Amino acid sequence: MRAITISGSVQPRLTSGVRLQTDSVTSKSVLLYPEGIIELNETAHEIVSRCDGRSVAEIVQALAKEYDADAAALASDVRETLFDLHRRKLIEWT
Amino acid sequence: MRIPRPYALLAEITYRCPLHCPYCSNPTHYCGATASVADPEADGRSADPTTALSTTRAIAEKGELSAEEWKRVIREAAALGVLQIGFSGGEPLARRDLEELVRFAREANLYTNVITSGIGLDGNRVRALRSAGLDSIQLSFQSDESSLADEIAGASAHRRKLDVAAKIRDAGIPLSLNFVIHRRNIDRLRRIIELAESLGAQRVELANVQFYGWAFLNRAALLPTREQVIRAREIAAAAKARLAGTIDIFYVLPDYYETRPKPCLNGWGQRYLTVNPIGDVLPCPTASSAIPYLRFENVRTRSLDWIWQESESFNRFRGTEWMPEPCRSCPQKEIDFGGCRCQAALLTGNAANTDPVCEFSPNRALVDAVLREINSSSDHVRDWIYRVNPNVKSSVA
Repeated sequence: MRAITISGSVQPRLTSGVRLQTDSVTSKSVLLYPEGIIELNETAHEIVSRCDGRSVAEIVQALAKEYDADAAALASDVRETLFDLHRRKLIEWT
Repeated sequence: MRIPRPYALLAEITYRCPLHCPYCSNPTHYCGATASVADPEADGRSADPTTALSTTRAIAEKGELSAEEWKRVIREAAALGVLQIGFSGGEPLARRDLEELVRFAREANLYTNVITSGIGLDGNRVRALRSAGLDSIQLSFQSDESSLADEIAGASAHRRKLDVAAKIRDAGIPLSLNFVIHRRNIDRLRRIIELAESLGAQRVELANVQFYGWAFLNRAALLPTREQVIRAREIAAAAKARLAGTIDIFYVLPDYYETRPKPCLNGWGQRYLTVNPIGDVLPCPTASSAIPYLRFENVRTRSLDWIWQESESFNRFRGTEWMPEPCRSCPQKEIDFGGCRCQAALLTGNAANTDPVCEFSPNRALVDAVLREINSSSDHVRDWIYRVNPNVKSSVA
């Protein structure tokens, strides 16, 4: 597995022009962007919906608290999801 | 057969346009050049050769859909599951009620995109679109500098577009650029990409011309040579790698030079629908001119839901049941869906044939003959016919 290095202090946000919303047909969460739609799985939804100015470390903390999970294990999921969305230009670092 | 739900609606709100690009995908038959191709599956039943003609009459007599009619279409599309709407044309800014329609679509929770030449987009309209909630603008350019760009557009447009791009960026509306690539501008690809970088676009489409509508008429003037295509592919790939993470570059392949067809529309009647200016509902924007023997339903007489689910035009090529050989037994049939129905119709006269681009198509020789003709000629610059506007009764002043 590739090592993903994203600093915990970085604040991920949806790139301008990208919208998070619920698909009324499937009740699933989707990202809408020019000429594209991707459906988010539950993990990705939980992460992306917290990309509101919080840092990566704060997002990990919030999820660990809410799901009573181990922060270290969560951190790699969060980083991997954010890295993938950043690669597709759907998330930017601020 | 399970009927899927649609994801995106292309709203062609007018065919009027201030530009005259010879590669326009709009239908040509609105301008008198009526196609008359009989339905190959009509079993002797004479197909209606007046379909295209009656559309011409409808556009002249009944005119474009009104804003109220478009709002009903948008409401019905959202109810069907559509998540995205592209306002296109012609030039959508030719309608003064564009902002009202964008606002309505945005309130229906659709992702809104305006696909435009930029002509007619002043500061006031940029702000009005912004406040209507517009999510994104796709702006077209014809080349990287004004003399060639204006020659292609058949109008003085390039400098105005540069100004429009700056206004869009200043208003904070996400900007995509679209360049249609063809024989006359393909050698300038490097400079075209530089222009895109300088304009601050988030996304750039370098779309090799596809041969429908006016482009089909002008194919001999527009199809690039093999040598040009190979060079352009290398330039596009290098730019994509260099700009990764800064600008998303989409290079649309020149399909005549491919050996497998494009997965057109991700399958007929699977994800997309188009409503044209007079309200005809099309599985593909070029279907009305490429496949004139299909009967297309109109939103003035049918609900969008009925048309999507029940109409003959949407069901004719849905799924894989309609496929002939070699598609029927091909392992790729769920990947490329037999290619493009419009291309099959335009090149072979039968929309149900395998796309002749496919190396396994019995009609591939038709494509090879066109390529041979282009690549053996030293006469590279040929005249084209400029697109002209249809005689449309406008519904708005």
